[in-house]
Amino acid sequence: MNLPARFLADLPPEATLSAEMITSACQALRRNHARTLGQLSTEQAAGLIAETAKQWLREDYPFRRLAVAFGPEETGYSPEVLQHGLDVFFREWTMEHLHALLLQDLGVAQRLDGFGAVEAEQRMRQSSLVTAPELLVHICAGNLPVPAMTSMLLGLLIRSAQFVKCASNHCFFPRLLAHSLVDTEPSVAAALELAAWPGGSTALEEALFANSDAVTATGSDEALQAIQRRLPGRVRFVGYGHRVSFGYITREALGGFGRAEILEKAATDIIAWDQNGCLSPHLFYVENGGLVSVEQFAEELAATLARREASHPRGRITIEESTTITLKRDFYSVRAAAMQETRLWPSADSTAWTVVFEADPQFQLSCLNRFVYVKPVSDLAEALRSADAVRGKVSTVGLATVSHRQGELATQLARWGVTRVCPLGRMQQPPLTWRHDGRPSLGELVTWTNLESS
Amino acid sequence: MSKGKSSLLQGAGWPMGCQRLSRTTSRGSNQNRMNHQHWLDELAHYLRAQSSRQPIAPPPPELVAGLFQRQLELNEPAKTWLAQQDLLSTPVRSLTDLPAIPVSAFKWLELTTVPAADRIAVFHSSGTTQQMPSRHYHSRETLEIYQLALEIWFRHCLLATAPGDAGRLDSPTLISLTPTAAEAPHSSLAHMIQRLNERAGHKATSSFHGRVEADGWRLDLPAAHQALRRAEAAGRPTVVLGTAFNFVHLLEGWAEPKDFVRLPPGSRVMETGGYKGRSREIPKPELHRQIAERLGISANLVISEYGMSELSSQAYDADLSATPPISARIGSRRFRFPPWCAVTIVSPETRRAVPVGEPGLLQIADLANVASVLAIQTEDLAVQHADGFELLGRATAAEARGCSLLPLEPRYRSHA
Repeated sequence: MNLPARFLADLPPEATLSAEMITSACQALRRNHARTLGQLSTEQAAGLIAETAKQWLREDYPFRRLAVAFGPEETGYSPEVLQHGLDVFFREWTMEHLHALLLQDLGVAQRLDGFGAVEAEQRMRQSSLVTAPELLVHICAGNLPVPAMTSMLLGLLIRSAQFVKCASNHCFFPRLLAHSLVDTEPSVAAALELAAWPGGSTALEEALFANSDAVTATGSDEALQAIQRRLPGRVRFVGYGHRVSFGYITREALGGFGRAEILEKAATDIIAWDQNGCLSPHLFYVENGGLVSVEQFAEELAATLARREASHPRGRITIEESTTITLKRDFYSVRAAAMQETRLWPSADSTAWTVVFEADPQFQLSCLNRFVYVKPVSDLAEALRSADAVRGKVSTVGLATVSHRQGELATQLARWGVTRVCPLGRMQQPPLTWRHDGRPSLGELVTWTNLESS
Repeated sequence: MSKGKSSLLQGAGWPMGCQRLSRTTSRGSNQNRMNHQHWLDELAHYLRAQSSRQPIAPPPPELVAGLFQRQLELNEPAKTWLAQQDLLSTPVRSLTDLPAIPVSAFKWLELTTVPAADRIAVFHSSGTTQQMPSRHYHSRETLEIYQLALEIWFRHCLLATAPGDAGRLDSPTLISLTPTAAEAPHSSLAHMIQRLNERAGHKATSSFHGRVEADGWRLDLPAAHQALRRAEAAGRPTVVLGTAFNFVHLLEGWAEPKDFVRLPPGSRVMETGGYKGRSREIPKPELHRQIAERLGISANLVISEYGMSELSSQAYDADLSATPPISARIGSRRFRFPPWCAVTIVSPETRRAVPVGEPGLLQIADLANVASVLAIQTEDLAVQHADGFELLGRATAAEARGCSLLPLEPRYRSHA
């Protein structure tokens, strides 16, 4: 893939980075910020983002073509899964949605441009302005493209200069997005830097942290704590730890014609990014007492996954991942032989998809890559009791129910600690206004200045 | 099944018409029992014939077929699982045809050919956190087969003349870092070393130095050091046997070069198994170098063993009986099972055999494993080479690519 060498991440793999290079890159970002991004209004920044996103939705957009041509090799996802994922992602970044996000998090869309006040503030005879960090650093983990791209676009919206640090070999999508933004607005290049190095390269990270105003990071809780410990006290830290998600299907939803649709939606959630995201379901709790048994639902889900494999094949996985699935399947096939309460539906001649039905409602973490559990429960209370081991770690619950039960179920989930409840089929399609892990995405990055009028 | 002193001990010859017997469709239970006994006797006969044979002959195909038929008739859970997986449709004519059952099945199924009344021993897998260990039951007869098999291959691989030896190690001093079988009755490793001690070791000087404590095996360090010193002084070739963590414990008590011993020429080490969280984890090549240095033996006689409680035969990374003898190579270990075993490496994606040189899941057929199933699928990744298989390690739950929590299940190392 030939991209012009604008960023450190564009250097050939044999190039080695030094702490001095990181420091001077950060200093350049700060110097350039004032005369480039610092000059843009919020509306202009939003326009630049929305325009780039619109381009990405075009099949003939050169950067999208690069993504589809090289993405499968670089990331392991199949072209169909990548295209679907990119469509879902970029569809969100419209002017309208950006405006809604600004209003939701800042109350006044122009709050970054000057003092403003909502009605309550006016009543209190005050106004306020928010300031973004001048240099915002993102520590990105894994090769799921969405979290890194989201961080970059939110940083651009608030016009911070940004340094994006990718995990080694996982810089493909951040690089493509960065180059596409530069293509839309060349001055962006001067306030954006990307680099990749293996985690734990202490000297490089010390240099980066010392020069930053705010740091965002995704990763395991241990990794986040390790980063936070090394940050200078004045640097704001926004960490997003590992989360799990599951689906919940009520008995009413299983009736009649609705079932086929629910099966498709459940499959959509499993298939998106090959189930590798925090928002992907590890399992589906299904209420007993519907028109079909939960076991039959599991069998039908397997058939649905088999069909969807043809249109959206699971990507390439490592031999370790494949072995993990095989050993899990062995485990459950033996269990199924030993007891009635377990059944297994595996794809033939591959590990492409697996459905495990278990009567025991105990929450199980999936080994992912389209391996999903279906478990019967009598009600939501039983499901939540059974999921106690992951309480506080659940991001999203995809809900399939009838409208009159939605409010009651959502309240129960919220009180238990779930931070996002969405319709089944949209688990991997969070809106731009989604509060990541229950916290305002933009709000976490900015600093407020209150002005109290005399 | 007949009990007590069986014809197995008498080393019965090949009877007439054994092929006819193997294919008999007789429903009579006496007839079946006679068949089952017949194939066990044949196996014992075959194994005995190999103890003095060079090279070891592969088992006759009818023995493989007969023992598999016996397994099908005696091991109902295995048969059910194999049928469910559609693994019974191909006829079994050779070791590589034997369908493999996952080792995890030993935890969940009563995977045995031994009726409850005949069980005299059970071996458990070991591990740190597992709640349910695997169970491998033995009768007197299957235990004898196990003992026969382990002794033949151990002698073949470890006790033959190595380059630089004065001669065969006919009666070496065996110093075991494990407990005795009496202290660790459910450890197949302790049982194996006990048997070797009784059959191949020099009675007056061989010893065990492991103790069973609540949190696992402990090494009686002063006693082990003393035994090694005595062996050094006595001049009789010595074989030191133990698990990787046993050796770490041994080495840790030995910081000063002045404490190192120089075991007599011809001495060897047999190291097996993982660390199981019971000691510091030293990379294996480094561990083997340290063992060689501190025991004063040649690095290519630090021999690794690969075995597990779910099997009856073992693999070693040396074969001193081969022509020319094959020594262990630190950092590039190649394991070989005896000829009554066969290794197949399968793709975890398709479960079909992969070409030589490609990684996959290790399956082992072991004709001596008559107490349970004749072929198992391990949880180890390996590569087959021309000169043996290379272990790539336990297939640990892979790190998910995205941001989800790691799907971890307690894994276990099955030997010891």
